[in-house]
Amino acid sequence: MPASELLASPSNRKGIRFDPRTKLFLLITLCTLILSTDNSGLMLYLKPLLALIPFVLLLLSAKYWAGFLYFVLYVLGFVLELSWGAFGNGVSGFIVLMVSAIITRFTPCVIAAFFLMTTTSVSEFIGSMKKMHITDKITIPLSVVFRFFPTVKEDAGAINDAMKMRGITPKNPMLMLEYRVVPLIISTVKAGEDLSCSALTRGLGAPQKRTNMCDIGFHLWDWLIFGICFCYILIFCFQNQICSLLNL
Amino acid sequence: MIEIENVSFYYQGNEQMGAVNHLSLSIPKGQVVVLCGESGCGKTTVTRLMNGLIPNFYKGDLTGAVRVNGRDITKMPLYEIAENTGSVFQNPRSQFFNVDTDSELSFACENLGYPKDEIVARVRETVKDFKIERLLGKSLFHLSGGEKQMIACASVCVTAPDVMILDEPSSNLDVRHISILAKIIQKWKAQGKTVIISEHRLYYLTHIADRFVCLAKGKKVFDLSADELRKQDTEKLSALGLRTPDIRCLEPEHAGATGKQSLCFEKFRFSYKRQKECLQLENFCVPKNEIIAIIGNNGAAKSTFGRCLCGIEKAGLVRDGDMTLSYKERLKQCYMVMQDVNHQLFTESVMDELLISMKNPDEQQALEILAQLGLSEYAKRHPMSLSGGEKQRVAIATALASDREYIVMDEPTSGLDYKHMKEVALCLKQLKELGKSVFVITHDVELIYHCCTYVVHIEAGKVTNQYAIDKSTHTFLRDYFLLQ
Repeated sequence: MPASELLASPSNRKGIRFDPRTKLFLLITLCTLILSTDNSGLMLYLKPLLALIPFVLLLLSAKYWAGFLYFVLYVLGFVLELSWGAFGNGVSGFIVLMVSAIITRFTPCVIAAFFLMTTTSVSEFIGSMKKMHITDKITIPLSVVFRFFPTVKEDAGAINDAMKMRGITPKNPMLMLEYRVVPLIISTVKAGEDLSCSALTRGLGAPQKRTNMCDIGFHLWDWLIFGICFCYILIFCFQNQICSLLNL
Repeated sequence: MIEIENVSFYYQGNEQMGAVNHLSLSIPKGQVVVLCGESGCGKTTVTRLMNGLIPNFYKGDLTGAVRVNGRDITKMPLYEIAENTGSVFQNPRSQFFNVDTDSELSFACENLGYPKDEIVARVRETVKDFKIERLLGKSLFHLSGGEKQMIACASVCVTAPDVMILDEPSSNLDVRHISILAKIIQKWKAQGKTVIISEHRLYYLTHIADRFVCLAKGKKVFDLSADELRKQDTEKLSALGLRTPDIRCLEPEHAGATGKQSLCFEKFRFSYKRQKECLQLENFCVPKNEIIAIIGNNGAAKSTFGRCLCGIEKAGLVRDGDMTLSYKERLKQCYMVMQDVNHQLFTESVMDELLISMKNPDEQQALEILAQLGLSEYAKRHPMSLSGGEKQRVAIATALASDREYIVMDEPTSGLDYKHMKEVALCLKQLKELGKSVFVITHDVELIYHCCTYVVHIEAGKVTNQYAIDKSTHTFLRDYFLLQ
């Protein structure tokens, strides 16, 4: 069965390519600003604009379907968040507020992370971590973890099929979890051992400087994203001053 | 030149399994040597001694010296050994580090810090050598097992090592890919590389290999040339756990299926999400209560057929006499023993495994089933502590416990030695005697000759041939497996 992968391969990568560091910086800026501000003052206008960036990036990378879904979800959440009062002050109003606040705060972050993961290959990831002078002790285990997501997904699918085929549906949720997780751990441990052997016998961990085949570097688009992020950070830091200047 | 000098090795925590005992072996440059012997005889251990995984990765008790080109590699770090030794492993699924083929091919060179231009040139040359242009730029998760193994061989070749070490490389390959693998090994031989292959399947190597070294319990039993090996008595080879060196000599052991073709498949059409239809079986019938081999190349949709038959995928109807089974009913009537049997055993003991399969748990009946399959002594053991073959039998026992009529086995003998293959064959025959209809998806011609009575050949989602195995039809089989 074909498994969809989290990390990109060249065949599913279209459109403009960004440096992984740009994507990481965008993710951090986005999460910090969107999660740490409310909808008062300037932020009411600036936050939706910020949330628009991952949407544009998805379109530029030819991920139209994901972009469309995100757009609809965010707009819906944003409109609900502004108009929750219409649902009354009772439980229904509260639920609308809660759901819409979660949508507007978390979806942009999740989408930015999705964008980072689906458009970066393992090789690019290792290359950019090297450029940021992060030690191999962190980079290599992390890259192995990424490499494992699709494998775990395949295994989980096979286990699911086996349970369906054997007609095993325990009522007890703990038992259900046990039945799924134990075989998964066993096959993952085995795959991890094989993977380490194959990587080590191909010289992973050699002390000489590792060559990296992918082009990592900042281009026009990267500078643009960096510029926007910096502007946002500045506005965020000085928002009170800006508000009083504009008499808002 | 590889010299193994009086080497003994015992794995930490498991003294018996795969141990090597005072072994000496000398392999001159440019030789192709096959290591063979039954499972656990130490042949994989010998390959690990040569590529440095012992003692660098697998810990244990090591004495003696292993010298490659005069240097003792038991004292070298893995990345230094990696410069002139390449290793290919058994499981194509878990030996790639990257997600895309291009990065995977340049991976070894990148690690060793070669300059960029040189890596590009080497990758280009290797791709041409292996004729794998069409695999470039693809996700490794979308390749078949055979294609993955090609990439694994190629990704090792880019650094142009002198010594190639292959650990059961053909286990997951179909006939066509085995012949490609054989050609690759031949090319390496012509280039003067030393090649060491640990393998159960011998037939594809008899015209390439210079020597066959057989091990038993960590000791050398014989060291013969290919010609000498062919002259050996087959029974003697079987006793050592070896597969036949020449599949031309095989003869069907049983009378073929004679029954009426009363099990019919209708409208087995299936496509995976967003892909074109891979299974297109309109109508075909096979005899009931037989052992039916399903053969065909990788990607012919044999496994998909198995999944549809078991009702895991929603497709088609099965008519058994006047019964009509939809996929929902087949989920209750069919049982699949998966290729990776680890995925289908869930509980803490073999006994529990049987009890949860039964409609009305009955310990007495469970014990009877275990006794039938020779598993009585394992009733209290954790399924995961058993060997691969034993796990397979436990899975079959759960199929019996759940009282299923149709049993599908997906590649039950990949990577098994003669003895274990024979055990699987025996088990299948028992199932037949119990009145079950058994379907075996397999690339193992010896298994077919040992127990199957009927063959269905599937290519590109369609049945291209089907026949009962007897003296006249078994030439079809032989021709298919010899690629004629």
